[in-house]
Amino acid sequence: MNRLSGEEWQGGHYLSVPLSSHTHTNAHLQRHTRTHTHTHTHTFTLSRVVPSVAALMTWLHSAAFTRRLARSIAYLFPSGLFDNKAKPLMKHPDEVFPKQRAVQWGADGRPFHFLFYTGKQSYYSLMHDTFTKALAVEKHQDRLRGKGLFTQDAKQISLVGSRWLLKEELEELLVETISDHDYARFIQLMERLLSLPYCSAEEDFVQRYRRQLEIQSSKQQVQPLQYDQHGVAYSTGDGRRKTATGTVLLRDSGSGSISINGTNYVHYFPVLQDREQLMFPLHFMGVLGRFDMQCSVSGGGHSSQAGALRLAISRAMLSFLSEGQVETMRQAGLLTPDPRIKERKKPGQEGARRKFTWKKR
Amino acid sequence: MLYFGKQIIEISFALWHLPESLPRGLRGTTFSKMSASITGLLKPWTPRVFLVRWSRYNPYYLEPEPRKEVYHIPETELTPEQKEERELKSVRPIKAATNSVTSSVFNDPVLSKFVNMMMKDGDKIIAKGIITQTLENMKRKQVEKYHKAPEGKKAEIECNPYAIFHQALENCKPVIGLASIQKGGKFYQVPIPLTDNRRRFLAMKWMITECRDNKHRRTLMYEKLSQELLAAFSKEGNVVKRKHELHKMAESNRAYAHYRWW
Repeated sequence: MNRLSGEEWQGGHYLSVPLSSHTHTNAHLQRHTRTHTHTHTHTFTLSRVVPSVAALMTWLHSAAFTRRLARSIAYLFPSGLFDNKAKPLMKHPDEVFPKQRAVQWGADGRPFHFLFYTGKQSYYSLMHDTFTKALAVEKHQDRLRGKGLFTQDAKQISLVGSRWLLKEELEELLVETISDHDYARFIQLMERLLSLPYCSAEEDFVQRYRRQLEIQSSKQQVQPLQYDQHGVAYSTGDGRRKTATGTVLLRDSGSGSISINGTNYVHYFPVLQDREQLMFPLHFMGVLGRFDMQCSVSGGGHSSQAGALRLAISRAMLSFLSEGQVETMRQAGLLTPDPRIKERKKPGQEGARRKFTWKKR
Repeated sequence: MLYFGKQIIEISFALWHLPESLPRGLRGTTFSKMSASITGLLKPWTPRVFLVRWSRYNPYYLEPEPRKEVYHIPETELTPEQKEERELKSVRPIKAATNSVTSSVFNDPVLSKFVNMMMKDGDKIIAKGIITQTLENMKRKQVEKYHKAPEGKKAEIECNPYAIFHQALENCKPVIGLASIQKGGKFYQVPIPLTDNRRRFLAMKWMITECRDNKHRRTLMYEKLSQELLAAFSKEGNVVKRKHELHKMAESNRAYAHYRWW
């Protein structure tokens, strides 16, 4: 890290100034060479013996010397200041400075765009284009109706995995500010275009104003399966619910026994609802008797402990399942941590919702 | 509704309340005045403006589907709406399943709602115990009746306590309700249509209040409840009588029906 050669340093520092710009160094060096006779050789010697002062000056002003000196200083005085990672993180100028419009009128003062005097030329021209396309599609439909070839089940644009551009994104695209009302009108007009049966002709235009949504199941982190010394597959998972935390060690041994904090699950959870919650992920996937579970849980009450263990079991099971099954479990609501907590008490009220008794006087 | 600007309130209203009737392009959309990204909507969320009914889930989250058989339908047998719903679910986050919900065949949402309504001070164990005893009691009575009945009548006697429960509740549900509407300084009882949820709620509420109030002090809750449910199953008993009274009141107040403006 410290043995950087001179050229690797960027925004070079004191060494970027060439030595020849210092007018006093020449005299200093001359004095130095006259009085200081080197009788001993030291490790930092020049690779070639310098016969004369002129040659020495040439060497001292060379790029190779600068590089060598830089490396030596970096070695002798290691400093994290000049590290690559210590460089100031600066954004690209495009991110810092907002996009600005070029001048919208010519030398004669006449604006280029025909909608310049509306004040929001890009927005209105976009609306104009969209409406033109809608009219074109309607004309096409009328022509088809005239020929008798009109069918309701024409190919439709698939819109399910995407969303409309947000107002901020649209503003960025148009490089001008629009109001909420304008944005709403734009969305309305697009919806109108999409309501026409033969709108698939304008699919490219529509998709330009839509963004793809990412598939949620790809966000699940699935740990790889581990194997113990007997070759039995196992995995761990942990879950939380309210203040309870639970961990589970799931083993693919085939006995179906469950032990929680050392005791059998029937003794630990005497309530049927809690045991059902433990069985829920296993029953849902149809693997009730397959896994052996060692659970540990603490905090909360019996219900939240059961919920924490259910989440831990679902997460541990993911390692044993395929992609489609993971998505099914997610849609069943087994992989989302329950965010519900006890609602806080508010000042001026007795509890979270309960108000103080109303007294007339 | 206060969360979004007034100008786009119609879009937000549509998305929040009527997902089925959305225009095609708005499915799978999100919108935010505050941030330009969706990542803020994927966390436990406390709204800026606290409406009375708010949840820790963002409106972006969808309800979970815990039943197993829904996921075993092959691709070919899905209707286009179901296919679209599946695609929508693949891009949206899903809420966590609650504690009382499982994929088991014995999981009944109506029964769970009834247990919750019976519950006092959060004591679900006792409420669930009472319901279990009620169902057992109903089964015992029906089986006794079955064995005592002559051969021809045996097939008509329903022994499944869950079926009896559902049918009894169905028989208790009112069709039309009354609302107190103020007009010209006086309050009138105006007949109004009821939603399914409201009807189910009224049936359960009447059943529970009937069993709590109108019984001999020595009879236990499950005993009285099983008696009432069996009576409601055969369209007798106090709860069904109360439903009929409500219908009669609505019929008698027919003249004021035009006071309803929605």
